[in-house]
Amino acid sequence: MADETKPKKKGVLGVFRDIVYGMSSHEMTRHAVRTRASMEHLFILITMGDLLGVPILPPYYALRLLPYVTPQIAGWKRRMLRERDVTDVLG
Amino acid sequence: MSLRTVFESQPDRRYIMFGGKGGLGKTTLSATSAFWLARQGKRVLLFSVDPQASLSDIFQRDIFGKGPVPIIENLWAQEVDADRRIKDYQEEIRKKILDMYGFDKVPEEIDNYIAAASAEPAMEESAIFDAVVDIIVKGDYDYYIYDLVPLGHALYYLSMAKVYDEWINKITKLRQDMRQYDQVAATMRREDTIAEDQILGELMYIKERINASSQILTDKKRTAFFFVVVPEEMIILDTKKAAELFAKFDVPISGYVVNRVLPADLGQGNIPPYLRNRITMQKKYLEDIRGSFGSEVLAYVPEMERDVTGLPMIERLARRLFEEDRG
Repeated sequence: MADETKPKKKGVLGVFRDIVYGMSSHEMTRHAVRTRASMEHLFILITMGDLLGVPILPPYYALRLLPYVTPQIAGWKRRMLRERDVTDVLG
Repeated sequence: MSLRTVFESQPDRRYIMFGGKGGLGKTTLSATSAFWLARQGKRVLLFSVDPQASLSDIFQRDIFGKGPVPIIENLWAQEVDADRRIKDYQEEIRKKILDMYGFDKVPEEIDNYIAAASAEPAMEESAIFDAVVDIIVKGDYDYYIYDLVPLGHALYYLSMAKVYDEWINKITKLRQDMRQYDQVAATMRREDTIAEDQILGELMYIKERINASSQILTDKKRTAFFFVVVPEEMIILDTKKAAELFAKFDVPISGYVVNRVLPADLGQGNIPPYLRNRITMQKKYLEDIRGSFGSEVLAYVPEMERDVTGLPMIERLARRLFEEDRG
């Protein structure tokens, strides 16, 4: 593993290309990860909404998923219940 | 057509349900059919999810919450204890959380949620739904006879299958979309593999079960649904309404069984006016039933001189229904 990820020796141009690539792809990765996180929150809302008073259809099956999202519940609730103002839109 | 010819000519219809208003004899007909099928050498499971189930009463022994209990050769009866099932399930979820994260105790907020979930009426319904799925997807028996709760509930149950079906398909799709974002992020980070999504695994498991069960319930090849009616005005009207609603949910209605028919020879001789009126009234409604359901009526079940409880009485009715009555 370590060998595969280790960058090969490159010339100045190669390093420069890597930097550009790294910069652009880093932005895209961040975007993917953030979208993924929003979807995670949406997913928890759909399955665990009961925690916020949103009724959930088959609670029996929803409970089955609870162990997997247990560590995320606190963060998710904070995000869902926090107050929002105009600066949120700017952020 | 008689009930017997339906069973004999359509052997693939292994999932049998008797529906109707409360107190019309659904349990009696379920038990009688189960008894007869078992006597024909078929392995039969008769089950109920009603918390006030009557299988214990009709077989005169306590089978509540005891799993499939053998009644006679080839016949098992089961009454699901939904409360017990929910309690065990809650415990299972708590244990899973402790095991997964090595906690000493379940975080309070999560524990409260687990406890509160069981107080919801929807919890019991979805637990019962799952109990039925559990029973029918295994497929160990030749026949599954589902002693349904009264019509409204039956309809609710069937509509639930449809709603759950859509719910699970939607969230599974969302989870799969999330998976794609994981994949994108991993590719850009030049990682070869991404960790397995356990939630997606669970969802696929739930989806498989819900889909399988709602397919069985509406499959004309595998399922037969019989309405139980008695010759009374309100019951006939309600049954007609229910039949329309059921048709909307694609329930494979296979025919009607008319229960509590007073013996024809009762009208002869000197009988009190009260009884004579009842007989005249019944005749009128029997005509009505013939007019409305016609050839779909599979059996006219006589009013017996005593309750149908206990095996000898069930056997008598089975003989009457399957050996003598030919529709």
